Amino acid sequence: MTFEALLRFSNDRLRPLLANGLRQAQVMRNWYREAGYTKTEARAIKLLKEWLSAKQLAQFNARRYFDVIGCHSGKRYRIRYGTATNIHELDGAGRPQSVLCFVPNSPLAAGDVMLAQKIALETDEWSAVAVAKRFAPSWH
Amino acid sequence: MATQIVMDRNGDTRHTFDASDTKALLRAEERFKELTGLGFTAAVRTASGEPAVTRRFDPAAEETLFFPRLVGG
Repeated sequence: MTFEALLRFSNDRLRPLLANGLRQAQVMRNWYREAGYTKTEARAIKLLKEWLSAKQLAQFNARRYFDVIGCHSGKRYRIRYGTATNIHELDGAGRPQSVLCFVPNSPLAAGDVMLAQKIALETDEWSAVAVAKRFAPSWH
Repeated sequence: MATQIVMDRNGDTRHTFDASDTKALLRAEERFKELTGLGFTAAVRTASGEPAVTRRFDPAAEETLFFPRLVGG
């Protein structure tokens, strides 16, 4: 077998193995992460996941945040895992322009807060932004 | 069965009801009015899966989600 054929062979064999390994690692990472949630948090995360789009769900599973598009301005917002100051308004290049904070007026688990924020930005952006407190981003 | 999901400190509370049962439907409508009267926002998912806010009780909605009023944090 030539070196080139050997390389092609190992590439064909290794690629699916690597892809599968990465998928398994992702599943394990999510499992460990979610194992640390309280029952309430886990319930809220489950509900959130049911309401996310396929793209948002993939983003959330990989990075614990997801992006939404404001229904009025078309701006992109990034909702991070958390219950306060967890929304970044992004510029065209995906850099945070400002931090927005608006939350439900009664204490809820992070998943519920994030879902309420998503629905608000996707269906009534101006009202959500109007009540939000705005801060300068602390990271770029 | 239709479901009304109300976000609360335990995650959520689910009220399921048979939409073909007139009494159950009336109770669901009362619950809708009571919650929205308290400032909750009601949302449903469209056929394409996108959220939509609803101001009126929809007896045909399979799932309605209620979340508390949003305020600046």
